[in-house]
Amino acid sequence: MSASEQTATAAPIVEMRKISKLYRGVPAVKEVDFDLRKGEIHALLGENGAGKSTLTKVMAGVVTASGGTMTWHGKEVSFQSPFEALEAGIAMVFQETSLVPSMTVAQNLYLGSEKFLNRLRGIYISAQQFLQSLNFAVDPTAIVSTLGAAKRQMVEIARAVHHNAEVIIFDEPTASLTPEEKRHFFALMHRLKSRGVSIVFISHALEEALAHADRITILRDGELVVTDHAGAFDREKIVRAMVGRTLSGEIYNKKRGADEIRKPGSRVLSVQDISMSNVVRNNSFSIYEGQITGVFGLIGSGRTETFKVVSGIYKRDFFAGGAIELEGRPVRYTVPREAVKDGIIYVTEDRKTEGFFETMSIAENLYSGLLAANLEKKAYISLREMRALAKDWTGRLNVKAINDNARVVELSGGNQQKVVIGKGLIQQPRIVIFDEPTRGVDVGAIAEIHQLINRLADSGLAVIVISSYLPEIMNLSDRILVCRQGRIVEEFAPDEATEEKIMYAAVH
Amino acid sequence: MTRLLSHLTQEVIVFLLAATLFLAAAIFLPGFMFKDGAFQAGNLIAMVRAVSVLGILAVGMGIVIIGRGIDLSAVAVMAMSVAWYLQMLNSGVPGWQALGWALAGVVAVGLINGFMVAYADVPAIFVTLASSYFVYGFVRSQLIVSDATPAPAGSWILELPNLGLVTSTHIPIDVYAFGAAVFVGFLFLRFTKWGRYIYLMGDNFMAARNMGVPVRPMTVLYYVISALMAFVAGILTTSSIQSMNVRVVNSNMLYDVILVCVIGGIGLSGGKGYMRNVVVGALLIGIMGNAMTIMDFTNVEQNLIKSIILLTAIIIDGLLNPRDEQTAQQGDI
Ligand SMILES: Nc1ncnc2c1ncn2[C@@H]1O[C@H](COP(=O)(O)OP(=O)(O)OP(=O)(O)O)[C@@H](O)[C@H]1O
Ligand SMILES: [Mg+2]
Repeated sequence: MSASEQTATAAPIVEMRKISKLYRGVPAVKEVDFDLRKGEIHALLGENGAGKSTLTKVMAGVVTASGGTMTWHGKEVSFQSPFEALEAGIAMVFQETSLVPSMTVAQNLYLGSEKFLNRLRGIYISAQQFLQSLNFAVDPTAIVSTLGAAKRQMVEIARAVHHNAEVIIFDEPTASLTPEEKRHFFALMHRLKSRGVSIVFISHALEEALAHADRITILRDGELVVTDHAGAFDREKIVRAMVGRTLSGEIYNKKRGADEIRKPGSRVLSVQDISMSNVVRNNSFSIYEGQITGVFGLIGSGRTETFKVVSGIYKRDFFAGGAIELEGRPVRYTVPREAVKDGIIYVTEDRKTEGFFETMSIAENLYSGLLAANLEKKAYISLREMRALAKDWTGRLNVKAINDNARVVELSGGNQQKVVIGKGLIQQPRIVIFDEPTRGVDVGAIAEIHQLINRLADSGLAVIVISSYLPEIMNLSDRILVCRQGRIVEEFAPDEATEEKIMYAAVH
Repeated sequence: MTRLLSHLTQEVIVFLLAATLFLAAAIFLPGFMFKDGAFQAGNLIAMVRAVSVLGILAVGMGIVIIGRGIDLSAVAVMAMSVAWYLQMLNSGVPGWQALGWALAGVVAVGLINGFMVAYADVPAIFVTLASSYFVYGFVRSQLIVSDATPAPAGSWILELPNLGLVTSTHIPIDVYAFGAAVFVGFLFLRFTKWGRYIYLMGDNFMAARNMGVPVRPMTVLYYVISALMAFVAGILTTSSIQSMNVRVVNSNMLYDVILVCVIGGIGLSGGKGYMRNVVVGALLIGIMGNAMTIMDFTNVEQNLIKSIILLTAIIIDGLLNPRDEQTAQQGDI
């Protein structure tokens, strides 16, 4: 009997029957049955807004179901708070960060389980040991707000694992990890499984689900489509179940011919020798109009920081900080506003902390882009213009929401990402930097966003795509830059690049 | 039913509370509105004036808080700028010149607050606390001679309550001023680009900065607005009591101003709230303060009651409008 068949016969420890969740009368989850067995990895798949996060939040006590029952070890339960669920043994890693930004990594790990007297040194040492045992290279004394998205994600994962829960729900844990960290994460997941921990795993990377899950459940529009053994699926079957029709063509597996690669236009940006503390070191490169420059690098390679310097979010070193020229004109931005005025837009990888305005509606978020860029130089705001803009862009990006004045917090993760992208593009950039543009976005929407990015490049913009996902880099880029230890170390043409070569350059 | 309950936001609750309190006081509290069965306007006018002064300060404070700042120097600026202005008038400085100096001083304090917060990255709470002490100390020791500075006879400030508009409608000038402040504040926040910027900064400062909102100039701007509002409030105070006593700086007034904002429903974490929140907050605090004074409550008892009201409002709001666990953790105080 193989391992996955064994788990197949095990009794479920969580059983959800006919679970529904209504938001303002509109169902986000409709009468879904879901069960989780001891020691299994259960992948939960579906398009953006399918209800994956909502269903698992019901399980973890974050939201209460509007209908249906849930049993835990055979007893009917209804958790009223995440704390209750955690006490019982269910932990959840959220899609968006829930760490306290002003505290250190170690303090976040022990948040809620502090002893009466906390010795800082003590928790640093045990946090260090714990992180090492997971193979996560994060400094326990670092303040969370200084960490990039990937490291935060690792801290979140570590925090959930640390609780020794029987059930751990991972909501898109791999979205901002690079291949190396992903490997560690999956190793961890299998170690947990062999200890008997049951895992719910939500991801938009279907091959991850196929490779690691024992069972797969697919939701569409809040309804259960199918639950079955992973072996019963292949990529195409999953996609069909997710979207209810066959998607034309694969997104990633096409190899681009030399004639499809865009030629560089004029050089818009030339970066020479820039440095910022010890994160960006003597980094030099150029960016050209009318093509997509892909940037790959492992975590800590300084790729995000480099482009935050370019877009004025961070200041480069005052002494020996290097030079940046925009169309031959030297620039030194002290605030992002100056860069925005020059048409340089940075679309963030961390939408919650620095991307959207959560108390505001989709329309207000989109309109804020226009206002901030001050394209119209008007002193007053126009609600009519705002509505028209919102209509145009939600249509173009296919943003799905419960209704038109939904606030951005009420959107599913992937739809939030689309709003953030729209907000940036409304500012009419000439150089646009996408940092992980498809983080948390479903297969169909990835294709749409890629199309959008391609169209931007075709219309003559200089486009930069930073991504941890190699297929995305290979598929989009007309030029691939590899970043390591704070500088661009190699450049590839897409027809000569292979995943192995890029990884090699990023690591060695 | 739940539909209905979900409309019961903090501001609605506070408004209902204020209205109930007003009715109860009018009926059961002799001296509030009726004395020996006869209508008497005196107390109501006093109350409305107190509410207005508090309200004008709260308009400035509200704008600052929505933009994720706080201005602890508001009351000091109110008292000291007007005291200095009166002192100049008393010692014979020509009217326009004195007004110019006083306004310049007010704007300067706002600018310094704003620059320190925006450009030197010092937390607002320290900057404005320091400037509160500085303004008080400097003006009291260098520019004025005693705690109470009377308004010179015949000054325009004393004429304010006798304006044609006021005498014909019997509505105190303070109410017009408060109304105007709220209206202008409303237009500014709701319809101008800069008003939007303030909401953006309060909601997510990093996002606002990164997308090109001029966060530093805007910060400076709202501290200047707050300082100017404080000056207006000071002028009105003087018009009703004919002098300015700077001991008010050491009173509870600043807390009352912040209380008006918070109780009305302006979130201290920023990005949340409107001018109407200031109005309901000012109404409640004003009516309560007045009623309690008539009932001879001591200051200590009054503070106790205010604190209980504040806690209740916050708890009820939390129960009726629970926040999503996943989104609740950042930016909360
Ligand atoms: N707090 C809320 N208020 C109103 N609607 C909500 C709220 N949270 C989620 N929704 C809606 O419920 C639906 C399901 O959202 P959910 O977050 O579960 O999707 P998801 O499957 O996790 O999608 P994604 O892959 O994009 O993260 C969406 O249409 C979303 O707009
Ligand atoms: Mg989700």
